[in-house]
Amino acid sequence: MTKAAELIIGEVAGNHSMIELQNITKIYDNTTVALKDFNLTIDDGEFVFVVGASGSGKSTLLKLIMKEEEPTGGKIIINGTDITAMKSSEIPYLRRTMGIVFQDFRLIDKMTVYENVEFAMDIVGAGSKEKSKRVPYVLGLVGLSDKARRRPSELSGGEKQRVGMARALVNNPHMIIADEPTGNIDPSMSYEIVELLGEINKCGTTIVMVTHDIEIVKKFPFRIVEISDGRVKNDVGRRNKGV
Amino acid sequence: MKLVSIKYFLKEGFKNIWINGMMSIASILVMVCCMILTGSAVLMSVNVRSTLKTIEGKNSITVYLNKDVSHAQAAKIEEKIKAIPNVSHCEYYSREEAVKKYEEMLGSLFDILQGDENPFPNAFHVTMEDFSTYAYENTVDSLKAIDGVGSISDRSETAKKLTSLNSLLTSAGFWIVISLGAVSLFIISNTIKVSMYSRRFEISIMKSIGATNWFIRVPFIIEGVVIGLISAVISTGLLKLVYDEAMIIINKIVPFRGMPFEDVALPIFLGFTVVGVLLGAVGGVISISRYLKKEGGDVVAW
Repeated sequence: MTKAAELIIGEVAGNHSMIELQNITKIYDNTTVALKDFNLTIDDGEFVFVVGASGSGKSTLLKLIMKEEEPTGGKIIINGTDITAMKSSEIPYLRRTMGIVFQDFRLIDKMTVYENVEFAMDIVGAGSKEKSKRVPYVLGLVGLSDKARRRPSELSGGEKQRVGMARALVNNPHMIIADEPTGNIDPSMSYEIVELLGEINKCGTTIVMVTHDIEIVKKFPFRIVEISDGRVKNDVGRRNKGV
Repeated sequence: MKLVSIKYFLKEGFKNIWINGMMSIASILVMVCCMILTGSAVLMSVNVRSTLKTIEGKNSITVYLNKDVSHAQAAKIEEKIKAIPNVSHCEYYSREEAVKKYEEMLGSLFDILQGDENPFPNAFHVTMEDFSTYAYENTVDSLKAIDGVGSISDRSETAKKLTSLNSLLTSAGFWIVISLGAVSLFIISNTIKVSMYSRRFEISIMKSIGATNWFIRVPFIIEGVVIGLISAVISTGLLKLVYDEAMIIINKIVPFRGMPFEDVALPIFLGFTVVGVLLGAVGGVISISRYLKKEGGDVVAW
């Protein structure tokens, strides 16, 4: 069985940890140590804030989870599959199990809101019937049904980020990885974005949100992992699935 | 592959060409030049070969007499020629007739060439019964032995010249094709590289969502293939114009029935298409693979 197939089946097999990093070390260019002896387990269905100053290793953590970078040492297990041993041809299938939300939204302005979301389904080869059902559904979920025909440039920052979330959600991922999703948004709208992520989490999707916005983190009752100098400095509020 | 994806690939491929207008036009132009040069070499070679065949099938030769041979002497030589066993027919062709014929063919151009004196010798058109190589050469030898006979327009000499011309065309054509093919490949892969850079934002999004490398690649390969196809169509059309024009000019100088373009149009067009499509596809694969291996892999730190 391929690693990609294992990823999909992992959940069915009832594996409870979604992301597991074991003794991870990441050194760039033989000199810069980004992570050392890093251990972190995120359970299926959890909502986790990852906080830390810039340069603490947050971005490296995301790159390792997405397999954009290889760890120098250690083991990463995603949904029961060891991805450190994964072939590069299987990376796309790994990424299909995670929806990614970016700080700078990464929307294509030549396309409408609807097309931006549809594009994500094109990439995984979804059929038109499937698309015409799923795209309006997720746009409704993020509250943008009435703006489906607009261009991203016509929207506010908060709305743009909701398009980004719709795109991340549309392929039904196991987890959502959000990289500073409120970083470019008016603070008054940030709360709403995280709340929406919370709603998605309630349906069982694991959420990992990297942020340095301590104010917003404090407003939610989710687990907080603080990274400092390439290690987990604090880890509070861990819960088990289904609590 | 799903039908939806095919629709998507075609749409994106054509979009690339459009967005990348000037570069696409430049690579089409370069490819067209390469194809026309290649096609010209092929057409010349085809014509030389067909001429060779006609010559080999000919059972008549022209026997030129020495310039000082008079009409009366020629009549005696005619008897001798007719006495050679293999000769079935012998027709006198006087120098005056030769002048007349060339005058008709070349018109005013001939006046300049001619000067005052008739440059042609008297001649015979000799037809043979058996024109297999052995009998042919024997007959030519017997003709040469006759007193007063100057030169013979021997088919083997013309054939030799044409054969060496043909091999020159073939080897020159080979190098033309190789070097121009390399140039085309370079231009095409650069064109596609440019269109890839202009879409690197979309590529990074696609990678983050989980597009396979093939999915990202195909529109760019289609871009290359379409450039190749367009070049093939333009080249075939232009080549026909050039060829027909060249034939008219050549026919004014030498009476020569060249192969009509229509006879070779299809193989030439198919050849151009195959080469264009291959170059386009290979160019696309080369540039996108290099890109995806390097900077194209970044997702978070785009």
